[in-house]
Amino acid sequence: MTPCAFRLTKCLLALGLFSLASTSASASSGPGQGHAAPIQARETFDESLTLRPLPDGRVSAAFEFKTVVRGARPREPGSLGRAREEGDVSQHYALFPLELGQILRAHAVAELHLGLRAGKWDYDAWGAPGAWTTADPSPEPHAGVGAGAAGAATGAELYAWMGDAGGGEGEGGVSIDDRWTGLRSALAGLFCASLESLDERRTCAPADAFPPSGTLPPLASQYRPRSNASGSSIGAGGGGYYELRHALQPAEHVCTENLTPFVRLLPCKAAAGLGRLLNPQKLFGADWHGLGVHVRWVAPGGGGGEGGVELVLAAQGVFDPVRLSGSYRSRDWSFQRLFDRLVEARCPVARSSRVYVELPQDVAYSVVPEPTKVEGAVAMYDLLAENAERVDVSLRYLLEKQFQYPTARPPSLSPLTVRRALHGTSQAHGALAVSVTNNLDTPVRVGYLETLPALVTLWLHTLTVTLDGDARPRNDLLTDLTYQPPLPHGAHTGPSVLQAALAIPPRATLRLSVDMGKAFLRYTEHQPDAMRGWDLPGAVFFPLALDDKSYGAGLASAKNSNETAVATTIGYRIHTPNLLVDLATPDFSMPYNVIILSCTLITLIFGSVFNMLTRRWVLVDMDEGLDVE
Amino acid sequence: MDTQPGSDTSKVKDPSRLTYENVQTRWFVLSSYWIVIILALPFWWRTTSIERLSLPSHRIRAQVEERPRLAVTLALDRSSFGTQVDSVASEVNGLLEASASSSRWRGIDAKVVVGADEKSSYTVSAGKSTVVGNRSLVLSSEDVKRPTRIAELLSDLVAPYMATADNLPERVIQYAPRYRLAFSLLNENAASKSGATGWDVQRAISKHFNPVLSELGLLHNFTIESQVQYHSPLAFQPEIIDNGLGLTHDQLTVFVNSAEWTLASSVSNDPVLHFVLFVPSQKDMPMYILDTAGRPANSNGFLLPQWGGVYVLNTPPDQQELVHLKEKDLLPVFSTFVGQFLTLMGVANLPPDVRSLETSALSSWQLDALLRRRALENIHGSQDTLHSIIKLVEEIENMPVGDVVRDEVQGSLDLLEEAYRASSISPELTLKWSSQALAFASRAFFDPGMLALLYFPAEHKYAVYTPLFASISVPLIVALVREFKAWKLTRQAAQ
Repeated sequence: MTPCAFRLTKCLLALGLFSLASTSASASSGPGQGHAAPIQARETFDESLTLRPLPDGRVSAAFEFKTVVRGARPREPGSLGRAREEGDVSQHYALFPLELGQILRAHAVAELHLGLRAGKWDYDAWGAPGAWTTADPSPEPHAGVGAGAAGAATGAELYAWMGDAGGGEGEGGVSIDDRWTGLRSALAGLFCASLESLDERRTCAPADAFPPSGTLPPLASQYRPRSNASGSSIGAGGGGYYELRHALQPAEHVCTENLTPFVRLLPCKAAAGLGRLLNPQKLFGADWHGLGVHVRWVAPGGGGGEGGVELVLAAQGVFDPVRLSGSYRSRDWSFQRLFDRLVEARCPVARSSRVYVELPQDVAYSVVPEPTKVEGAVAMYDLLAENAERVDVSLRYLLEKQFQYPTARPPSLSPLTVRRALHGTSQAHGALAVSVTNNLDTPVRVGYLETLPALVTLWLHTLTVTLDGDARPRNDLLTDLTYQPPLPHGAHTGPSVLQAALAIPPRATLRLSVDMGKAFLRYTEHQPDAMRGWDLPGAVFFPLALDDKSYGAGLASAKNSNETAVATTIGYRIHTPNLLVDLATPDFSMPYNVIILSCTLITLIFGSVFNMLTRRWVLVDMDEGLDVE
Repeated sequence: MDTQPGSDTSKVKDPSRLTYENVQTRWFVLSSYWIVIILALPFWWRTTSIERLSLPSHRIRAQVEERPRLAVTLALDRSSFGTQVDSVASEVNGLLEASASSSRWRGIDAKVVVGADEKSSYTVSAGKSTVVGNRSLVLSSEDVKRPTRIAELLSDLVAPYMATADNLPERVIQYAPRYRLAFSLLNENAASKSGATGWDVQRAISKHFNPVLSELGLLHNFTIESQVQYHSPLAFQPEIIDNGLGLTHDQLTVFVNSAEWTLASSVSNDPVLHFVLFVPSQKDMPMYILDTAGRPANSNGFLLPQWGGVYVLNTPPDQQELVHLKEKDLLPVFSTFVGQFLTLMGVANLPPDVRSLETSALSSWQLDALLRRRALENIHGSQDTLHSIIKLVEEIENMPVGDVVRDEVQGSLDLLEEAYRASSISPELTLKWSSQALAFASRAFFDPGMLALLYFPAEHKYAVYTPLFASISVPLIVALVREFKAWKLTRQAAQ
């Protein structure tokens, strides 16, 4: 019915090809494997705090604690089976947290991203999540996870890239799915988070949307390549391949019990350095807050220098100084006001400890104390410098008595404005509507991903695409559709995955609508507090590789589009807020009532049939009274 | 159907003439109901009963009674003892037999013979001084003449473990095929300039631990990990003494602040032995361990039973910045750690006045004694576990026993028998089989399938069954009684 190419692809096979730099595999040493060199030379720790005033009076505070184990490599997955028999090699860490290192090693994880976030990230008003508004991390020392990997999906999000050497179970290998299960349990234990619920019902592998942010190390070549008909999951040279596992639990709420183990992973904990500012009472009082754990491998050579395993522990909060100041309604902020704490002692093992403050534009302000360095619109404080103890950075707006909220909506800081909603009041059917507005003057090509648990089923024949309120379908703007239907029950449960490429003309709004059926759940499948409804994870809009020819088609005839305009894509992933779906919910006191009711019914039928069959019929002579027989 | 017109009393036909109204049909209907119910009973029973496979309880009971004895043959060298060799042998044998009932000899059969043959495990000969070598004991010229001394030495070497009575067994960690050794350098507060940023832990481990670990590799595998922490506060305030701070005996028991020290993760189920090097902060320096009299003790290390060891290292008071601990700084620390490690692993010391000639870190006598001890411990452990399983299964009637559990129990029994058979030949083999038997037995004991229906109360079953069965059975029984009465009446009438 549509020109869209419907391809039903198995979730696990929908993996992109990753060409890996075929760097020669040096002596494999996992994080913390034996090395003669002293540990200090191998491990470095840098911490930074980036404060960014936002147009709506809020302040974004992004902490980044980065530990790099130089020269280390993620573990070779083929060695997992052998280690079961022989025991593992030694692990020695000075700065890298041992607890996390053990988990990464035990499951041979090449790249890991864990996010625990609460609140709705307002892309229009706040721009990209993470420390910097720019997408690509600038070179040292600003480099961090970057907004791309930071993400802002609400709830608990975990994704990991794991290699399979192709050994298979028969040769002592451990399958990726087993390791994914183990990784979830281990991280759930470490961070006191309900990651156990990120099970098969939520796990999928949307590799295009979540590409590795580092490099995946080439796998050893002594293993036979697994015969794979589609060949789409082969990713690393020498017969091994990498696979992604991604799961999102939108209903998980991040809180103090997650911050305590997070802080324990820092070398100086909350005792010294910037970790001191992670005050749970203030951080979790922020309008938006999130914790992130990002582990990746940086290949030797190139920008990464020697390369190694990089761990970034990120914490971010969007504070509202206007609210915190009470009746003053001032957007002036200071460490004391935002965190209720100061950095009292420097962390002795930090190589750098810096505070960056993005300075406001076109307004009179004063920033105290004097920054160590001002570079463009960014002031930098070096907390390792002399006399840098008990620094209370504060920013005051000099000519502003009270902060006036902007009356007109300021121009959006995000390339796309996304609205997503569920329509329909019925408990059996509904419709998912998504509208995407392109805020740029160039056409935008962007990937669109929905990973919905089997609670809802999308009916793809009802998928309509319209542009700017025009009723005519514009299916040409949606290409490369892949859809994996949900697997609701039984041994193979899984979410539905819908992925497509969208082309949005400049300053236009694309509307997508698709009908969906809601599942009728079994009695035991309901979660506690079933009447509240189920959280559906947000959609993801992700950058596309633009050299791909297949995305060009939709733009040529787009309305208002300049034929010569070069299409762009977005610089980071955009997550929409969660949705709440209302499913048919039983009265949970029913089971015994049902048993009794149906038993009564059966008994009634049985009794009457039985009576009919065994009743003794007699003639009663009314004249002679009731003389039987 | 019989359509005979009714009698002349009425125009209606007599119902008792209808075929389906005759007694046989009614009986047929009624009995078919009952037959269906009776036939269904076994199916109902089969589908609702819990799977309880029978465990080989007779075999287990017989096995529990079994007390395997590891044979140790000690051969006296004929030339060293000269003409008295037979009398010495019989006298030592007599002394060993006299003490055989004591707990240290449990499970070990020691016999002294004259002249070495290929069956004997150890040789005893004479020499200049009393030393032990590779499975041999050389006695000094005085000791050769004293059979009591020989018996005492042999007891200390072959069966050094005074079981149960003293507190030694509580210190020793339980047997496991694999342990993790976690070395942690904990700075109380590195921000106070008195800590260490790192340590040459790998070199120290390879120097101090590797010789011991390679010897113990016969019994266990070891995984080593180390970490450094820069802020690990104590949970209590140490006592203030004249020249610093002191840790009293009570404080040592709560020294490990597990709430704030992240010492090891639960990434595997292997037991962990912790070795903690604690560097106090500048204001708490120097910190000593106090003896019972309240004076600083000689050693700054202490052992926590079945957990690991701790060493408190005081850095020089004039230290102005964080240091990297070199190998020579770690020498006292790691020699303490090795001693603690050997105690925790259950390695016995040699008798006080006996030296070892062997180049390896542990003498063959110590290793063999440890092997025997661990083998017997495992055999007893598996016996106890198996016994507990059958007792539990017998006690709790709702406990399911699946084929996994049965196979594991069976496997454990088979391995135990292997271990018994090997006990007279080789302690290594005995240990191998017995540790596998223990692993099987514990896996069966902790099988999650055994818990499935443990907490499903009988009241729930009644609540589910009675609404249907009670109401159906009433008409069935009443009909039966009614027919029976009617049958009796007709029989009486016939008579």
